[in-house]
Parts: sequence; structure tokens; C-alpha cells
Amino acid sequence: MDYDIDRLLPTEQISLAEPPAKKDDAISFLLDLVVENDRVDDRERALEALRERERETTTGVGKGIAIPHAQTGAVSEPSVAFCRSEAGLDFDSMDEQPAHLIFEILVPEGGSDDHLEILSSLSRSLMHDDVREGLYDAESPEEVQGVLREAIS
Amino acid sequence: MTERVVEVVPEAGLHARPASKFVQTANEYDCEVQVVAPDGEGNQEGEPVDASSMLGVTSLGVGHGERVKVIADGENAVDALDALEEVLSTPEAGDEDSENGEESGGDGPDGEG
Repeated sequence: MDYDIDRLLPTEQISLAEPPAKKDDAISFLLDLVVENDRVDDRERALEALRERERETTTGVGKGIAIPHAQTGAVSEPSVAFCRSEAGLDFDSMDEQPAHLIFEILVPEGGSDDHLEILSSLSRSLMHDDVREGLYDAESPEEVQGVLREAIS
Repeated sequence: MTERVVEVVPEAGLHARPASKFVQTANEYDCEVQVVAPDGEGNQEGEPVDASSMLGVTSLGVGHGERVKVIADGENAVDALDALEEVLSTPEAGDEDSENGEESGGDGPDGEG
């Protein structure tokens, strides 16, 4: 599957500012990047879908990464938001490490497995040390896109 | 070193709760455990990932009904495989095609199948 990073993760949905310190607030914060970019019809519904998934089990996948995600009718196209935390967020990750790189994935409802494909492609690229380092070092949303464009293929 | 090919039964596939159970179980053993996902034709050809890493397991993108190869090497490798097979073969409560009817005593809505 080919991803158009500019479409999936536009610069408007990338924040390099420190996100709120609490997991739930950070999830809302990322959702709001997508809301402000006019891609969410029903903010509450999307937020509930994200929280529901989080209640099932944490999306903190370790190595400093968290990938909250949901499939919801509140969005009409697959969208990813990204933020980076210097301080690190407690995401209840299994490796007990704080999350520094947080990706939030929202995909429309429907038969496709888009969200799982995006989730696995993203996870696969984030396993590489140089990709994570590139994201830590990025100084602009464009640089974040650049790292991911190269990593996800 | 010992290995086993196992079908992923839970509806969620190797994601969410089943994935975290799988990773937790792998972490309970001292042996090294790796998982390989199938390719498009169902052959076990992918790059093995560390079964004790949630990031690694998530990267496989394994869905319900797909088969993975689990490889264990070291102390209690066979026990580890048994435990991991159990996780992968057990439907979750609420899965529609749960085949454990005799255990869950029919608290489903209509007990179909």
C-alpha cells in the first residue's frame, strides 16, 4: 500500500509543541489538530472511539512510542496526527517507558482494514532507530513528513 | 530451537487485547521468542520480530484467521510456545464466532452456532 504522506499527515496535523502531560488530554489535543483541519464531523464521537480503544488496552507500544487509533464514522478520510513530547507521557506502556512520539490514527468506518495497515506500516518504520531519531531531531512539520515519507513505503 | 505455526483466532487479530496478552505472555518466559507473519500467499516469509515487543508485534499487522509462525529458543521454549498458542487460539469473550460455547455457558444473545 502506498501512502500519500501529505494527504495522510498534512503539516496542519503535526505539532512540535509540548502536548498536555496527561494521556487523555494528549489524545484530545491530537484529535483537535485533525478537527481544526476540518476533517472531523463529530468530535465527541471520534474522541469516544479513541477512548474506547484505549480502555481495551493501551496503545503505548514501547520504545517511546504511542499510537492511539480508532475507526470512526466521524471522519471521512484516513488521517494521522503527530506530536512529540520532550517530557514524555505516561501511556501505561508495557515496557514502562514514557511515550515521546505520539501518532494518532483516525480512519473512516467501513469494510477495509486501512487502520490496521496504517498502524502496522507505521510501527514497522518506527522499529528503526534512525527513523525515531529523525523524528526527535525534526525541526519543522515538513521535516517530520520527510522522515516518514522515506520510512513508510 | 522450536517453532509452531498457529492460526490467530480472536476477531481483533494480533492487535489490541490479544496482542497485549501475547506480548505479556512472551515476556513471562526467559527464552527468546520471535514471530513471523505470513505473506500474501500465506507463506511464512516475513522478517521475524521480537514477540516481547508490542511495537514489533503491532508491525506485523496480522488479522483474524491468519497464521503466524512462533519461534522459541532457550529455556522452557516448548512451554512458551504452548502458552502463546493458547493465547492465539482462544477467542475473546464477545467474538461472534466463538467456538468455546461449552465453556462460556451460553450468555450470548441468541446462542447461535
